[in-house]
Amino acid sequence: MKVRDIMTKDLTSCEKDVSIRELIFILDSAGVPNMPIVDEEDKVIGFISEKDIIRACLPGYFDMLHTASFIPDMNQISKKLEQISNDPVSKYMQKDMVVVSEDDDDLQAAEIIIRKNIKNLPVVDKYGRLVGQVKRIDLLRHLV
Amino acid sequence: MIITVTPNPAVDKIYWVDQLKMARETQDEFLTRARRSDTSAGGKGVNMSIFLSRLGVENVAMGFVGGHVGHVVVRDLRDEGVTTNFVWVNGETRTNVIVLEHGHEYVPIMINEPGPAISTEEVARFLRRYKRMLNRATWVILAGSLPPGVDGDMYRVLASMAREAGARVVISAERDALARGLLAAPYIIKPDIRVTPVVDNHPIGTRSEIIDAGKKIVADGTGIVIVSHEVTGDIAITADGVWEIHAPAKTTEFKNFVGADDVLLAGIVHMLNKGERLEDALRFGMAAGMISAESEAKICSDIDRIEKHMETISINKL
Repeated sequence: MKVRDIMTKDLTSCEKDVSIRELIFILDSAGVPNMPIVDEEDKVIGFISEKDIIRACLPGYFDMLHTASFIPDMNQISKKLEQISNDPVSKYMQKDMVVVSEDDDDLQAAEIIIRKNIKNLPVVDKYGRLVGQVKRIDLLRHLV
Repeated sequence: MIITVTPNPAVDKIYWVDQLKMARETQDEFLTRARRSDTSAGGKGVNMSIFLSRLGVENVAMGFVGGHVGHVVVRDLRDEGVTTNFVWVNGETRTNVIVLEHGHEYVPIMINEPGPAISTEEVARFLRRYKRMLNRATWVILAGSLPPGVDGDMYRVLASMAREAGARVVISAERDALARGLLAAPYIIKPDIRVTPVVDNHPIGTRSEIIDAGKKIVADGTGIVIVSHEVTGDIAITADGVWEIHAPAKTTEFKNFVGADDVLLAGIVHMLNKGERLEDALRFGMAAGMISAESEAKICSDIDRIEKHMETISINKL
């Protein structure tokens, strides 16, 4: 089976200059956990997830700690989110993201999703343009 | 790639009832029980996308969606194999109610909501996404009403952008949205005359009015004007001539003609996209529309029935 046969054919995406505030609205409305970032020709140039936004609101040394108990309350995160809400998504997006081609095998997509522990994987055509996404649920639905 | 744009999509909620109880008339009966019901994504462009997808034609559906109903629209389209590319908005996508009373299916009761108000930021977000999609477009179908908040000039702007990108433009709309769209000289127009039988201030109630108005519109740059004359007949006007298309169908045999007009136009686009002659495209479109109207399902894409029905469609060049 090819990726094109199992992918969700949805092109919801945003440009690199879209603000974090707008991105949160789109993620929330569309009910998706992440979003491909595309250029003027719809070529995928990045990827941003809810996790990337949360990480941007946490102190830089957060990863080295085993607990969040040192953070007094959510106000700190809320203030930081307010500060970055007008920043462009390009500032926080992952630029070294992985994509698959619509002609790749489904197994290839499954391996990337499992190894990288990601929920969605952008699918591109031969020109690098977004044509859909493979979601974990697509794989499960396909297997069932 | 064919792109359909439905600025004001909907969920069509269809109820089949044995008898509609009108409390105003019966005084005592308020409740009408539906024999069955159906819920599906709707709106002119959405219907066309579904029909095209069932014929195996890759297409992308665009427009504005919002809220719970918006998710139903998107999910339904994806299940039909249509690629979705909608801009999410703050409001709730509309629900349109259709009641088909047994024995009177050819005169459905239809209640259409106005749709959510769209902000200027949401329109701007759509325009950016639309511009990107035009890189892949060969045909762009602009269809249906404009939701509140969207400028009446929207179809002219979208049609101009599409033409500039080299795509053929089809507009299926009514009143001001269509009249302004004509300024961009689209390839095909099909006026929606359910409410007002007027195109760009030209009345199109009678056969001769349709032909006169069509010729003027074609002279101003539109390629093909297709107008429903009677329920089972259409008139097509181009610079090369005028065609009258007729299906030998009885409207009393219609089971559900919601969406049939959209199937007709999508059928024509499908055939022209394949490089077929206009006459064959008109014949196919009319047959597809009639088969859809004669089926209980909102959109019927039974290609065997359509092709068989094509033999019964008459086309006369006037």
